[in-house]
Amino acid sequence: MNIKIAVIQFPGSNCDLDTLHVLNNVISNGVEAELIWHNNFKESNYDGCVLPGGFSFGDYLRSGIIAAHSPALDQARVMLKDGRPIIGICNGFQILTEAQFLPGALLQNDSLKFICKWVNIKVENNKTAFSNKMKKDQILNIPIAHGEGRYFTDNLKELVENNQIVFRYVNNRGEITKEANPNGSMESIAGVCNLEQNCLGLMPHPERASELILSPKETTHGLLFFDSMIEFIKKKGAHNEKG
Amino acid sequence: MRKVKTKDTELEVDLTESEVKYIKDFLKREPTTTELGMLDIMWSEHCSYKSSRPKLKQFEDAEQNYDYVLAGPGQDAGVIDIGDGYCLSFRIESHNHPSAIEPYHGAMTGIGGIIRDVLCMGVRPIALLDPLRFGPLKNNPHSQWLFKYVVKGIADYGNCTGIPTIGGEVEFDKSFENNCLVNVACIGFGPIEDFKHAPSRADYPGDYLVLMGGSTGRDGIHGVTFASRTLTEMSEADRPAVQIGDPFTKKMIIEATLEAIKTGYVRGCKDLGGGGISCALSELTGNGGTGAEIDISKIFTREPGMNSFEIMLSESQERMAFVVQSEGLEKVLDVFKKFEISHAVIGKTDDSKILKIFDGNNLVVNLTSEALAHSPVIQREEKKPSYIDELLTQKTPDLTIEIDKVIYTLIGSENICSKEWIYRQYDHEVGVRSVVKCGDGDSGVLRLIGTNKFLAASVGVNSKHSFLDPYNGAKGGLVEVSGNVIANGAKPRAMVNCCNFGNPEKPESYWFFSQAVQGMADFCRVMRIPVIGGNVSFYNEDDVSHTTIKPTPTIMIVGIIEGEKNIVTLPFKKSGNEILIIGDTKAELGGSEYNSVVYNIEGGNPPKVDENQVKRTWNFLFELYDKHFVKANHDVNKGGFVITVAEMCFKNNFGADLDLTNCFDNSLRNDEVLFSESVGRFIIESEPKDYEKILKIAKKNNVTVKKIGILISSPEINITGIKNSKDIKLDLNKMKNLYDITIPNIMEI
Repeated sequence: MNIKIAVIQFPGSNCDLDTLHVLNNVISNGVEAELIWHNNFKESNYDGCVLPGGFSFGDYLRSGIIAAHSPALDQARVMLKDGRPIIGICNGFQILTEAQFLPGALLQNDSLKFICKWVNIKVENNKTAFSNKMKKDQILNIPIAHGEGRYFTDNLKELVENNQIVFRYVNNRGEITKEANPNGSMESIAGVCNLEQNCLGLMPHPERASELILSPKETTHGLLFFDSMIEFIKKKGAHNEKG
Repeated sequence: MRKVKTKDTELEVDLTESEVKYIKDFLKREPTTTELGMLDIMWSEHCSYKSSRPKLKQFEDAEQNYDYVLAGPGQDAGVIDIGDGYCLSFRIESHNHPSAIEPYHGAMTGIGGIIRDVLCMGVRPIALLDPLRFGPLKNNPHSQWLFKYVVKGIADYGNCTGIPTIGGEVEFDKSFENNCLVNVACIGFGPIEDFKHAPSRADYPGDYLVLMGGSTGRDGIHGVTFASRTLTEMSEADRPAVQIGDPFTKKMIIEATLEAIKTGYVRGCKDLGGGGISCALSELTGNGGTGAEIDISKIFTREPGMNSFEIMLSESQERMAFVVQSEGLEKVLDVFKKFEISHAVIGKTDDSKILKIFDGNNLVVNLTSEALAHSPVIQREEKKPSYIDELLTQKTPDLTIEIDKVIYTLIGSENICSKEWIYRQYDHEVGVRSVVKCGDGDSGVLRLIGTNKFLAASVGVNSKHSFLDPYNGAKGGLVEVSGNVIANGAKPRAMVNCCNFGNPEKPESYWFFSQAVQGMADFCRVMRIPVIGGNVSFYNEDDVSHTTIKPTPTIMIVGIIEGEKNIVTLPFKKSGNEILIIGDTKAELGGSEYNSVVYNIEGGNPPKVDENQVKRTWNFLFELYDKHFVKANHDVNKGGFVITVAEMCFKNNFGADLDLTNCFDNSLRNDEVLFSESVGRFIIESEPKDYEKILKIAKKNNVTVKKIGILISSPEINITGIKNSKDIKLDLNKMKNLYDITIPNIMEI
């Protein structure tokens, strides 16, 4: 089975090539990832898509808001309804909240500064399209790099009840503490999914944590995200083989 | 500034009287206002290097003497062949004057400019490095303001364009209080084929000239002439001469340029930086031996009513000029359309060797490319400042303070303490290449995907040393910066420099420049390091406080590591392993942090450089690397070797038992042993079983190696064997805390 994944390139995306590199050169199990310019994206050609990190449209006006109105998101909405997997990383997460694929919003870090560093996140929900290869409560080493990653929602209760909180920032021992929360996110939330669990948004960068050589702790936890995505697609049956 | 009559009106210019006469004699007529404005810019110090060129000739010709150098000085950026069909391109330049007035946009546009320089060589920019200098931060709101916004400017621009900032350097010194130094460096990587497609020349007549990117506005008019002047009280009023950065447009320009070059129809490419379109067009045609006809009414402007003078002289950011083969014009324009980026075909090249600029039907400029590109050279006088000899004889008072107190003070001093506050704000991992990350090594190490190679890059110089002895200071900078890449296992392949000095019209300032260039040229020739580019920033002084900056010949070295297993890192790895010091420690406290922090004195005997000894040390280290004897390496820098050992302990919570008995020249004072900043030294970690073999290799290479201690698992440094002194016990947790909190304590409210 040949799995096709789109990496959508918005003007100002800058982790697009990095994600493409991991999907095409690091993962080696029949995945074919394509870089596709946002205006040219056709959902029917792909089994899933990645909205990569960066500064789409310069983050002008508000991060993610302009890209949220790109025709690419109309295409992605078809995918979403169809149950195909969609992941938004960093700026991609911001786009997905602005486009209301995902609940909540991402505000400026409480330090008021951009932060680039490796953090730990804990798996809260390992049933989603992007976490099914992880263990519940597993601690992942992964880097963040953002200025606006403070997660906020006015509907926390519902999020908890529906198991939509997928990752939280924790310390080395897996504890949720103020010090381990790098940006002041509500409830230390690092990533959330939609009700159907086929769409994930997170601030940390799995594509930067997928190769031993880049990892300070010699882990490759980032790969689990992409492996989960592929597993999910395989179970579902590849989209372009169905028709 | 002087008023000069032109054909149409009169204009205030920075040109000297003799230069104006030269122009009139050359043209055999009065220049138009636009022409005179263009010449004023092209012949400014910033664009023409008129004061520095005679000295820069001392660098050996890199393209001629090194077969792997593909482009040397004079190009937008230097280029070296690293094998496997790939090349690296890099350059460093200054953006001091704008940043001193408007730190945020000054720093932003500095980064923007250096990215374009590398981009024009046809390769993707993959790394930024930023050597910075400010006044001391403590109790100094002005320095804090400059520091905060320069860092923010670099962060916002680098992060948005997706180019990781992988390294840098900061010095704090009173002489930089009003004239902060913001030097910016960029490294590009790509296939050699792409570089060959896009030289910064218009070689063929009949090609289209296309302007692409941001619109042309009134911002930044006369930025370069402003940068070729001393700052005065009136400089605040020059803020309009500072350009505004737009990193998003830059990101689009990067992608569009690389895609346009891939079409194969781009025959030349040039960024619009200092001097704007005047500079770009005259260099493209001047270097290519062609001419061009341009219609500036085609240029898209930000505001209505701009006249030809303003358009030609505007330094609005984020613009590129392309020379496009006529049959490929549509293909190239399609790329620009895809990225929704403004562009205009503004003219065509011809074989006239004359640059003709029309505003609609009006001919406003009619100058030979030669006139613009070849300014007169000025021979400046040089004279050693009278105060230097006195400073050199300054004595460090006898050590009466307890040694542990001195070390605790040093580790928390602004010049030595952790710079994490800065690099946490930089996305230093975007691009998935960063193998040795900020804070983990002496240099930034990136993998070069597509090859088995890694690049290591470092920047810096010690301005306190250079102030006392610019000749040895510049050499020392090279030893130190090369040492940084070597400490990570890389062989230095090429250097670029950024000379920051005072007013060259003053013989004393020019002497510093002259000495520093001589030092760099001499060192590089002996060590076989090609100089592939440079930038000169003069007039870094102000008329308000009458301060001139300490001479700062900033150096960037790029080295190559062959294979992952040959990467060496800074942190200590295993307790029980031995700590060795490599190289000679001498009585060289002049310009040291110790002198400055403890006694507030600037003088003394600064470090000297013996190239042959440095060469032997490097050869010795590479021999150890071949045998994998080195487990960790860190070059000895500011504060002396105890600081070096402490920094190596921090990451993995190790400690060290040091016994200095018989390790150093017996004639040295204790403060000289501990705090001298003699250059070319390293601290390495090695296994006990390899010690004898290491000594043998050292003897063969005639290099001094002393075992000064072993690694322990508790976080403390115990020092014994200090002459006539009790043993010292240093608490590493306390040291780490002092190291970490200095900058956050000052900068965070």
